[in-house]
Amino acid sequence: MTVKIVNLKVNGVDKALMAEPGTTLLLALREHLGLMGAKRGCAQGACGSCTVLLDGNPVVSCLVPVATVDGAEVGTVEGLADGQKLSDVQQAFVDGFATQCGFCTPGMIMSAEALLDRNPDPTDDEIGEAISGNVCRCTGYEPIVSAIRDAAAARRRTSGGATATTGASANTTAGQEAQV
Amino acid sequence: MLTEVHVPDDMATVLGLMASGAKVVAGGTSLMPWLNDHASPATELVSLRRAGLGTVQVSGTTARLGAAATLARVEHDPALGFLDPVARSIASVPVRNLATVGGNLFAPRPHGDLAVALIALGARVTVAGQTGTRELPVEEFLAAGAPAGLVTDVAFDIPAPGAFRYLKAARRRFNSASLVTVAATVTETAGAVTRIVVALGGVGPRPLRAGAVEAALLGGPLNAETVRAAAEAGLGEIAPADDAYASAWYRARVFPVHLRRALLGH
Repeated sequence: MTVKIVNLKVNGVDKALMAEPGTTLLLALREHLGLMGAKRGCAQGACGSCTVLLDGNPVVSCLVPVATVDGAEVGTVEGLADGQKLSDVQQAFVDGFATQCGFCTPGMIMSAEALLDRNPDPTDDEIGEAISGNVCRCTGYEPIVSAIRDAAAARRRTSGGATATTGASANTTAGQEAQV
Repeated sequence: MLTEVHVPDDMATVLGLMASGAKVVAGGTSLMPWLNDHASPATELVSLRRAGLGTVQVSGTTARLGAAATLARVEHDPALGFLDPVARSIASVPVRNLATVGGNLFAPRPHGDLAVALIALGARVTVAGQTGTRELPVEEFLAAGAPAGLVTDVAFDIPAPGAFRYLKAARRRFNSASLVTVAATVTETAGAVTRIVVALGGVGPRPLRAGAVEAALLGGPLNAETVRAAAEAGLGEIAPADDAYASAWYRARVFPVHLRRALLGH
């Protein structure tokens, strides 16, 4: 069995680790680099709780042998806040009570960040598609969809884009559960 | 347990490692769940991530998708817009950023929706071995049980606007396995079907070409009556199974409805 040195740029910082062949990206983040945000849920790629950004794209890190992504850039929930200031998505999750037990939250947030990077003004349908790989067993999704919608509005305000509607969650899809 | 993960940057090394028993991993969305859950015997992996198979080339009317191109890569390629609904019907965003074109050919039932589309497009798959490469239709490759070798790419002609039809019926709108998947390319001239290829997923042991459906529709008009008759013929060539998503009975029961919706749009 060959242990390999794997180099990653994690949240903008160069890291190196000694990886056994069976080490997944998730395991590398949690057990080698001490980043406990991404969670091991199903280990099947089905629950999304291990979602991180790999070269900017959300992936289920439990299915990635870390040796195959040597040199990659990885983004995790730990890299979002600027000191004590949470990212727009994180803040919207807090403000909108979009977490309950919190297990799915880091994966949800990384999927949402990736969506908003690509699409600053997503519809509820697009939000539903973006988080369709992230399972939440507590909240029922509506607060999560609302939080992502609110985060998108906050981002647009910050970037000086289209006029945002505050409290957008009150005027769309009330009572409907996102189809995820 | 995994004893080694090779990440070669050339195909010759991939083929050599395969010959010595290494298992190929591309996106890992099928193999890694199994490895994560089972005590496997000593296993070596050879990754395709750096082997130069991840490109998508569209040249004129021909598209060539590398075996290690991700489904997300296909989804976001502006020249492959007609495949956008196909890619987006498969799994979820973080899985599509890993799952590959070549891997989809090996997805067990009821999965493999891209393979269904590829059959309908008349796609040909290139398979490399240590003695050379060969090209064969995707439907033959699947019917032969994915013969030995390394899938390096699939190629097809881009269909005329509106000729390609696709519908996947599932329990949920996003991220759910197929109950019935229908893909087709249809050419109509003067109110008659002059060329048609129909492929089905979710209703057989693998993605199927529906020859009886095609034969029933060829030469006539495409309408509710002819499609109903074609579905009746198609019931003889599907072999749906029970699984967690639906019963075989249900799949057969709704197959005619989804064939009609795919071909007629209503």
